Amino acid sequence: MLKITKISGNIFTDRELKKRFEALDKQKKCERLHLTRQELEKTRLRKNTDKGTDVGLTFNGNTKLNHGDVLILDEDFILVEQTPEKVLSIKIKQNSNQTEALILLGHIIGNRHRPIAIDAQTIMFPIQADSEVELFKNLLAEFQDNLELKIEERVFVPRKGMDVHEH
Amino acid sequence: MNQNRIPRVGIGGPVGCGKTMLIERVVPVLASSGYSVSIISNDVISKEDANRMRLNLATKRGLLPENLVVGLATGGCPHTAVREDPSMNLAVIEEMETKHQELDLIIIESGGDNITTTFSPALADYFIYIIDVAGGDKYPRKRGLGIETADLLVINKIDLAPLVNANLEVMEKDAKAVRDNKPYVFVNCKTDKGIDQVASHIMHNVLFDEPPKAQQLKR
Repeated sequence: MLKITKISGNIFTDRELKKRFEALDKQKKCERLHLTRQELEKTRLRKNTDKGTDVGLTFNGNTKLNHGDVLILDEDFILVEQTPEKVLSIKIKQNSNQTEALILLGHIIGNRHRPIAIDAQTIMFPIQADSEVELFKNLLAEFQDNLELKIEERVFVPRKGMDVHEH
Repeated sequence: MNQNRIPRVGIGGPVGCGKTMLIERVVPVLASSGYSVSIISNDVISKEDANRMRLNLATKRGLLPENLVVGLATGGCPHTAVREDPSMNLAVIEEMETKHQELDLIIIESGGDNITTTFSPALADYFIYIIDVAGGDKYPRKRGLGIETADLLVINKIDLAPLVNANLEVMEKDAKAVRDNKPYVFVNCKTDKGIDQVASHIMHNVLFDEPPKAQQLKR
């Protein structure tokens, strides 16, 4: 088992690291550790990389794993890749009833304790099953003309500071 | 920064599924391999489970000191103490980490709860969700965060399957489908069937197959 106790950087925030990753990846010298969003929250975890390397992660409580983190950058390179998941995105169309729709939307999502991500006019949150779309369509029925609901399979990165539990 | 963090396993599941019994069966296996284990048992009002484990594992068998089986009365829904606000548990753990660095593992038992039970990652490194066949063979496919996201799903009381018309093959097929290849173990705590597998999962994934601290110190 390869024991790892620190994160060396992140390719999305370190341009040099990203260049190094891209160069090594072309030479097929990169391994990927696929982790779910829930696994990223752990500080102790054992899992195999895509090339079968047995990795044991153990961090102090202040370390938080993120999509794009680099664990080893010697001759080999291990990159953390977050597993895509089902996400419901709700796009808010511009119109006069926007404020009321936004308040209701925040209330409904908050009541279900979902983490959220916001991208311009769109709010996203993870769902467990496609059937949940019907639930949200019903709850938001009075604003159906103002909102556009869509299921996506994507890497979901919660908005910073939105450290909520789910159930 | 806590350099002395002791690995932790959280065990959750519905009322009566066998959480306490699972701990009573797994701890002796871990102890026989030399691991030093402590237990925190959460319940709403009662400390009965903690008292039972203290009697069976500490007082009668001497597998751990009596003061290392701690009962916590949460006073509210059990999941609140292991997920939303785990501060009561974390306070006990911090004390253990200060006074008992010899410990290899802390097991945290949640009070009986529903299929959405999960543990805060700040509290548990590894989450075991346990159900039993008496709830019906539909249980795994009904999904829920506990069943889907737990690191290990334990299906207990398999000896009762014929009595409640539960089909274990159906439960196995559904467990595979909803858990995306994450592991599951069929268990009968009365006969210890499957208990070694549960202990192996803990030793491999949480203890990293490293020797117990007591053995490491002797080297």
